[in-house]
Amino acid sequence: MAEITLKNLGHSYFPQPKSEEDYALKPVNLVWEDGKTYALLGPSGCGKTTMLNIISGLLHPSDGQLLFDGRDVTNKTTSERNIAQVFQFPVIYTTKSVRRNLSFPLECRDWDPKKISGRVAEVSEMLELDDILDMPARRLSADQKQLISLGRGLVRDDVSAVLLDEPLTVIDPQMKFSLRRKLREINRQTGTTMILVTHDQSEAMSFADEVVVMKDGRVQQSGRPEQLFERPENTFVGYFIGSPPINLFNVDVKGDRLNCPALALTDLPRGDLGPGALQIGIRPDHLNFSDPSESNAVAMVEACENLGIDRIVSLRAANGELFKVKSRLRQKIDVGSKLGVSVAHKDVLVFQDGVLT
Amino acid sequence: MLKPKHFFLLPALLTLAAIILFPLIFTVRVSFSSWDVYQTGLDFIGGRNYARLFQDTRFWESLLRLSGMSFITVTLQYVLGFALALAVWKKMPGGRVFRVLFLVPMMTTPVVMSVIWRTVFHESLGPANDLLSMIGIGPVPWLSSATGAFISVVIVEVWQWTPFMFLLLLAGLVSLPREPYLAAAIDGASPTRTFWQVTFPLMAPISIGAIIIRLIEASKIMDTVNVMTSGGPGTATETPSYYIYIRGLRDFQVGYSAALSLAYLVLMIITLTIIAKLLMRFLVGKDD
Repeated sequence: MAEITLKNLGHSYFPQPKSEEDYALKPVNLVWEDGKTYALLGPSGCGKTTMLNIISGLLHPSDGQLLFDGRDVTNKTTSERNIAQVFQFPVIYTTKSVRRNLSFPLECRDWDPKKISGRVAEVSEMLELDDILDMPARRLSADQKQLISLGRGLVRDDVSAVLLDEPLTVIDPQMKFSLRRKLREINRQTGTTMILVTHDQSEAMSFADEVVVMKDGRVQQSGRPEQLFERPENTFVGYFIGSPPINLFNVDVKGDRLNCPALALTDLPRGDLGPGALQIGIRPDHLNFSDPSESNAVAMVEACENLGIDRIVSLRAANGELFKVKSRLRQKIDVGSKLGVSVAHKDVLVFQDGVLT
Repeated sequence: MLKPKHFFLLPALLTLAAIILFPLIFTVRVSFSSWDVYQTGLDFIGGRNYARLFQDTRFWESLLRLSGMSFITVTLQYVLGFALALAVWKKMPGGRVFRVLFLVPMMTTPVVMSVIWRTVFHESLGPANDLLSMIGIGPVPWLSSATGAFISVVIVEVWQWTPFMFLLLLAGLVSLPREPYLAAAIDGASPTRTFWQVTFPLMAPISIGAIIIRLIEASKIMDTVNVMTSGGPGTATETPSYYIYIRGLRDFQVGYSAALSLAYLVLMIITLTIIAKLLMRFLVGKDD
């Protein structure tokens, strides 16, 4: 197990990158603590798999250094780094049994057969694969195969970190939940650092101690899930984290105060902001409905989606701006009806040129 | 109930009947006749042709010979084809030129190629013995001894059809997923282990396909034998298809050769099905 440090680490697939645009992963500084769970979150093509492949040694970075416990491993091979990786599609050795699959990495390291069987028994018990150890691995379901992939990583006692490259994509939704919980349990049990790559924010938020949000090869924000939700550092993070995404409203500057016409907010402090495009962001979860006759801000219902316990209501403000409210209110909401909307000042985030102030 | 739409099937059905059903049914009928050069007509002699076939040791010997020849040639083609495919699979300088060059033997007409090889193996004029004499070997009776002729046919078959194996296996290799190789690298597998644990099992389905196709083709070996050895010396290189050709088109024992063809067809279907099943079990481990 190791602390992983990315020191100015960047990668371009071009042999001679001319500008920053040529980088699939723009140079970044990050420290991943030993024993924690991390998630790399971002849309497809944002550079998260590139970062993962650099850490595992499957890709050599064009810039910067990678340190494991302060030791430079940038030029080390995959096997020298002692990394375990689980891929999007389960990778198993089809001709082998579950037991032989789990023992394979140890056989490659010339372990003593007695030691191998002891270790395999330990790991299979942890992954609840002990009942099917002698079954041919190819006959198992996708989630069991994925557990074997994980098991091949955990069976080694020298693993620096387990890298998970969208491992839950091919798993049924029900099994996804239990596999994610299993991964968390294993992390708590073994203290192995785990890094999950995903484009599913709920997967990232529920799995990781810390989430790294990426876009266009650049790290946008890194922090605890609740930090990303409550204090997104820019509008992209606000938009990418949370479902539905954050609502952005235009504001007018009146002296040292900001006014938001859509929500009839007139007394927002401007602070010491310089010139630049200003917007306020409010989570759909933080907006509340009120009686239109008692509210300053009135909006018209354009659509209402029922998600079971929650409802997503799309509204148009008096000034024409569109926004969404996530509500558990059980009253009947008709399309075309008018509703009062209110928000607590503490939940209003001010963005200047797309960056949180 | 016949509807107008069914008439659209007619061209395909007529073609099928003309090129498969009619020849097959006609051959079955001919096999129960004594049609030969003296008696040209469809009489009925019951199963006499089949009874004769069971006592025809020349036919069974040729079948045994073919089994050995197919086993040796297809094994060599598979091993060499796989090795060549692995060699040009990874990017290497001039790889594309090699890929095209390897396909030349397959594109050559079998008869032309056999004539060239017959010249190569000619005992006094051929370059094969010329080259061997330089290192003090020979002269080797390539086409005039039983073993030499058998080996010559095997060499030509391997030379001509290894590219086919190479082509199929290379197509399989380039379509293999990347992840198992990354996983093997992470597990710390050596190149040999990676080949046996990843490449070989992943290539099993395509290997079986390629081997079966080659076995079917090898069972029909005829032109090479005809041009190079005429089945000789004696019957040393005679294969069932060549023997059937002799009986049917040289001796004009049409009825008997029809019985031979049908027996051969049935035997081939049974044998190849068993081989395919065994290969599936052995290479893929398909047990359900």
